[in-house]
Amino acid sequence: MIEVRHVSKEFVSPKKYPGLKGAIKGLFSTEKVVKKAVEDISFTIQDGEIVGYIGSNGAGKSTTIKMMTGIMKPTSGECIVNGINPSAQRKKNAQEIGVVFGQRTQLWWDLPLSESFTILKEIYNVSDEDYAERMKFLNQVLQLDAFFDRPVRTLSLGQRMRADLGAALLHNPKVLYLDEPTIGLDLVVKDNIRAAIKEINEKYQTTVILTTHDIGDIEELCNRIIIIDEGKKIYDGSLEELKDTYGTRRTVSMEIKSPKEIVGLDLPEKLKVTEQACKVDFDEERKALSVSFDKHKLQVPQVLNAVMEVTEVSDIQIQETQLAEIVKEIYNHGLKQADS
Amino acid sequence: MRRKLRIYVPFALNELKTQLSYRGAFYLFILISTFSSFISYFLWMAIYGSTDKVMLGGLTRNEMVVYIFMVYVTRSIVCISISDWVSEDVVKGTVAMNLIKPMDYRLSLISRALGRSGYQFLVPSVFIWIGLELYKVNVLGMQVTGIWNILLYFISSIMSFLIFVLFDFCVGMIAFFTNYIFGLLMVKEALLRFLTGELIPLSFFPECVQRIFDFLPFSSMVYTPVMIYLGKYNTAELGFVLARQAVWVVLLYLLGSLIWKKVTTRLVVLGG
Amino acid sequence: MKTIKRYLRLYRVLIVQFFKVIMQSKVDFLMGLFGFFFTQVTGILFLYLVFEQIPFLQGWSLEQLIFIYGFAQIPRGIDHLFTDNIWLVAWRLVINGDFDRYMLRPMNVFFQVIAEKLQPDALGELLVGTILVIHSCRKGIVVTDALHIGLFFVSILAGALIYTSIKLFFASFAFWIKKSGPFLQVAYEMADFAKYPTEMYAKGIRFLITWVIPFAFVAYLPASYFLGRGGFFGAGSSNVGVIGIECLIAGLFWCIAYSVFQKGISIYESAGN
Repeated sequence: MIEVRHVSKEFVSPKKYPGLKGAIKGLFSTEKVVKKAVEDISFTIQDGEIVGYIGSNGAGKSTTIKMMTGIMKPTSGECIVNGINPSAQRKKNAQEIGVVFGQRTQLWWDLPLSESFTILKEIYNVSDEDYAERMKFLNQVLQLDAFFDRPVRTLSLGQRMRADLGAALLHNPKVLYLDEPTIGLDLVVKDNIRAAIKEINEKYQTTVILTTHDIGDIEELCNRIIIIDEGKKIYDGSLEELKDTYGTRRTVSMEIKSPKEIVGLDLPEKLKVTEQACKVDFDEERKALSVSFDKHKLQVPQVLNAVMEVTEVSDIQIQETQLAEIVKEIYNHGLKQADS
Repeated sequence: MRRKLRIYVPFALNELKTQLSYRGAFYLFILISTFSSFISYFLWMAIYGSTDKVMLGGLTRNEMVVYIFMVYVTRSIVCISISDWVSEDVVKGTVAMNLIKPMDYRLSLISRALGRSGYQFLVPSVFIWIGLELYKVNVLGMQVTGIWNILLYFISSIMSFLIFVLFDFCVGMIAFFTNYIFGLLMVKEALLRFLTGELIPLSFFPECVQRIFDFLPFSSMVYTPVMIYLGKYNTAELGFVLARQAVWVVLLYLLGSLIWKKVTTRLVVLGG
Repeated sequence: MKTIKRYLRLYRVLIVQFFKVIMQSKVDFLMGLFGFFFTQVTGILFLYLVFEQIPFLQGWSLEQLIFIYGFAQIPRGIDHLFTDNIWLVAWRLVINGDFDRYMLRPMNVFFQVIAEKLQPDALGELLVGTILVIHSCRKGIVVTDALHIGLFFVSILAGALIYTSIKLFFASFAFWIKKSGPFLQVAYEMADFAKYPTEMYAKGIRFLITWVIPFAFVAYLPASYFLGRGGFFGAGSSNVGVIGIECLIAGLFWCIAYSVFQKGISIYESAGN
């Protein structure tokens, strides 16, 4: 179980000034800038959960992960990972966790992958039997043997990511932290990585915490997501709940027979709702009408009936709001407005 | 000409700016750079203290003080190691980027070196120079260096700068042929410290070795301007050493062009 | 005991790997070696040229100065060989966040830092140092009784530890100021002062390199003990005490440097923000 209690992190840095004059000024200045990267975040994660930790760039995701892994000490508050405080008992915690940073490898750049694993075996004190068993499993889910003898620097990004994931799992960690594990990968590799994460989670009940910008990662892996923005937690719950609460709109797209009738039609008034609750978009040339409406206020048949009363419809499509759009809205601080 | 300036001046300015922006490092590197001069100073004082001779290698004790610190000043405006930049560009692969831009790579490097040179002259060489003159007059009881010598010193130093960067450009070209230039650059550094007269005035070498140095460009890099500053040359000799510097500028310029041509053809063929 | 065994085993694995990498790039290795070797050789040539002019330098002969010069290279080379990665902490690892990886592994961080790299260039220094010391022994200017020989090895180890401590101390500043390379460089380059008899320097400099950044205890002072001269407790007295003080200083500076490093780790702020 992971408990994060009222954790905050502040960074202090010297002030910088632009330009040549600024560079000279900077030589003598002692002004400081305080930046709050994470502000009073709390949550609890149970064993075996896969949690997506998302937010826009600079929202404080990586900072939180770094505090949970013991790389950084919180300015205030504390993290407890399976009863261990990572910053106080760094080594003990490190033995229990695996970490993958998508942008940065933790393997030895010039060594063949096989040698990196030999070193990691020693570092994590993995017994020979455990090692053999783990490698068998890792090869099966990550297919490491294809490039096991090549130096890490010669691996493709996808191979390197598989290698890093394997390296992080060698000592059978209870918790796996993944910081943007699919960044820059092609679709097939992404699928492989996701499948591997799922399989590991199911087989060993490994708790997985991942940060990502890829909505696909979240939809396929996470049963729970935590969203932070400007260092504050703004959402914590299941994916469905998020869609339910914030994905309140539906869109019906229709191809209609006679455009003239539609031009004169005022849908919101006819259905007795506000303009906000029923937005109409009409492309006269392509005869395409699309109506986006609040699903708590209107039903699809109501909208269809209203349109079909005035003209014939030749094709219909109904779309739920995409998760990507919800998240985009949230990043654009739409959530706060939706809240109030 | 104006257009040319617009292209190359930013290289010089940018180098100045980068140097200034390293706050703490800024003061510290100045400090480090003076270490070897102070070690030299104390060492030479001990050496002159251990002998009854007035002159060693043709220099009096006081002249040696001037020599040591003028070497510092000269080196800081002359010895800008552009081969480091070349190897950096080659390793990072940015040299190809430089080739597709409509400008001369060597000229852009030299402009950058000029920026560095100007910066190093301002901080701290000019202060060391003034300090040295004050020390000379007030403590050592010597004359202030004449305006004529100072003028000639700067003319000679400008040529020294050109000789050094043009030579170093050729050295930098080695980076295109080997992956590991670090060891070579270290050898170059040590060799130059010795051959330019930075470590010890060239007049300390045996006669025959000095004759060989006359045919190498290294003495023209540091030793010549410093000896001019010290007023060690008569008019005829002055004319000769300055002319020799000019010849080296031309020769190294041509050599650099030739090598660059070879290297770029090779780059195009091999695809960089 | 079990822990120590584990660390030794791991160190061996890492070093073997490292040698494999070097063997893949023999030319690079040789060039680096030659570079360091050559740099030291010019230092010796300089002394030769100077002694063309004078017979003694403040009572020291050329042979004696060459011994001091050569002796200074050995502790320096040992430290350089084993702990070169400390430089990267000062210049790069902290500021770009690569230090993270040490924090994520269940082992001592300092051990991980130094175990990651052996610096083969250091062999150039060790080579020059050893050649010069052997040369001096054959010339018969070095005291070679059992005590001196024993203390010789104690001294070079203590000297290497002083080097390491000074490097670690200044590199640790990186945890506060992100990039401490320049500071480390200043401190490290001060070692050059101790290649020559320190009596020739002004009082302030002598104090600095004896007690503040104690490079005099790495090179000149122990070297003059082995030459049978008392550089420290007054002229003419050849005193074992100087090696004792060297060891004390090594221990003290190590403790200070290591606690600063530990403190630094505790406030480490990873990059990427």
